[in-house]
Amino acid sequence: MNLAHFGMDTITLAGPLEAKLDAMRAAGFTQVMLNANDLAGHPGGPAAATETVRKSGLRVTGFQVLRDFEGLSGHLHAYKVDIAKAMLDMCHALGSRVLLCCSSTSSHATADPELLKKDLQKLAMLAVPYGIRIAYEALSWGRHVNEYTQAWDLVAEADRANLGLAIDSFHILATGTSTERLGEVVAGKIVLVQLADFMWREIRSREERIDTARHFRVFPGEGVHSAEVAKLVRTLDDLGYRGDYSFEVFNDDYTQLPHAVVAERARRSVKWLTDQVSRRSLPLRGAAR
Amino acid sequence: MTIAEPLPQPSNPVGIDGIEFIEFATAQPQALGAVLEKIGFHAVARHRSREVMLYRQGTMNLIVNSHGVSEATPQLKAIALRVRDAGQAWAHALSMGAWEIPTRASAMELNIPGIHGVGDSLLYFVDRTRDFSIYDVDFVYDSNTNRKPPALAGLHYFGVVQSIYGDRTRDWVDFYRHLFGFSVLPEGEYFGVLPKGTLLESPCHKFYLQLIEPPPGSEEIHWEEQLVRIGLGAPDVPAATQALKARGVVFVDRGPVQPSEKGALTQVYLGGVTFELVVSHLQG
Repeated sequence: MNLAHFGMDTITLAGPLEAKLDAMRAAGFTQVMLNANDLAGHPGGPAAATETVRKSGLRVTGFQVLRDFEGLSGHLHAYKVDIAKAMLDMCHALGSRVLLCCSSTSSHATADPELLKKDLQKLAMLAVPYGIRIAYEALSWGRHVNEYTQAWDLVAEADRANLGLAIDSFHILATGTSTERLGEVVAGKIVLVQLADFMWREIRSREERIDTARHFRVFPGEGVHSAEVAKLVRTLDDLGYRGDYSFEVFNDDYTQLPHAVVAERARRSVKWLTDQVSRRSLPLRGAAR
Repeated sequence: MTIAEPLPQPSNPVGIDGIEFIEFATAQPQALGAVLEKIGFHAVARHRSREVMLYRQGTMNLIVNSHGVSEATPQLKAIALRVRDAGQAWAHALSMGAWEIPTRASAMELNIPGIHGVGDSLLYFVDRTRDFSIYDVDFVYDSNTNRKPPALAGLHYFGVVQSIYGDRTRDWVDFYRHLFGFSVLPEGEYFGVLPKGTLLESPCHKFYLQLIEPPPGSEEIHWEEQLVRIGLGAPDVPAATQALKARGVVFVDRGPVQPSEKGALTQVYLGGVTFELVVSHLQG
């Protein structure tokens, strides 16, 4: 595991896309997780943004984020299918092979696992012609799916080749979900791993969870759950996951600091993580066996 | 004595019943027409409003579309599936996550419903196949030509070969299986002289799709996801090969794909068109 396996996320930095990509490249990163706003909000329009990404030479880790897709019916479902298609178009134009889809927070969404499964199957089908994989992530404030275990159950039940799981350390830490069931997850079905930590042990309410997620995330190694994050990455590595890790760090401080300062913190985080993973492969001194 | 095994019947959700037509797009319709005629097809009708020709032999309908096409090299652009109810098939496909295509019919022309397939190809659904056909509405037959020319050497549609990117077989298997009920033939079960890739059998057992990932070590080859070749079934491949050779068709005669009793492969015509002969148990 080395720097090549990690990427930054454009949402961590402020300012124009060009400057964000330059800073990531300057810090030694070779991939970037893009947000739909990077394209839609680009002064030159989506085509110019796509061209900027292509010229940067950075590989696109994935494209985010399709929200509140599954579990709707009637005109709401039809509307979301249109949104999903537009996002798949953008994702494809960008050369991204992954679309991140977060579990629905909508109060209109059903809890019926059969219907949730059907919607995920439909999304996966929409993505087949483009060669895009759907990374389904349990948002910790998702309405019916808020832990990776539930997301995994749906993904496994849906059973589509291009539908897999996005694991986000923040949400696992926020809900305090045990990583034990990660052992059941097939490594090949993990499409993407997003990493972040935060600075306090307890999150008491759904609102506090949302607030923390959107404003107070930090890079792995900077927060108070370092041991848990390191364990998560080791577990994924042991499972055989060899895909990408992306730093999904929403932080109000980082969006008002110079890009180079933030990108350097990201690079340090990679160093910390790779040390954590390689360290355990050394034999434990005095171990019983 | 045999015991009937309770084998599960593969479902056929849209009632597929064979291939109604296959469509090429090219800016060189006459050059392609000349190739098709060598293969035994006859030009039988012309579209009422667009630069589109209908070719036929036996049970095969083949459309050459040059309406607004700028690419000279002919490309396989569409497969039209014969289905129980075209509207219902289309609605089913969309409900499962297929991409709809905009209608292109003009006034008094049939709107043939379709979805996006691999690359920029299309899959159409046709249900008017008995009393009067889609061709009766949209095409004008050449009065001097037999509308139903017989097939040369029993040729019939056997299948279509589709190239796909690496690691994409399972995605496309999902596509055809879940939209239409295609099933994967066991590994090692092949027809013809090009035993590779993954074979999917249509739920009506009347034709096959072959998915081909790039061969190992082919990083240098230009490879796209697209429909690449029509497979023509023949009850007797050597006889069909002879008949076609007599009409000037050239077959690849070296290496593993040289004509045999199992199959044969034509040379590449017009920079990208080949036909594969496959020994076939299917009825023409």
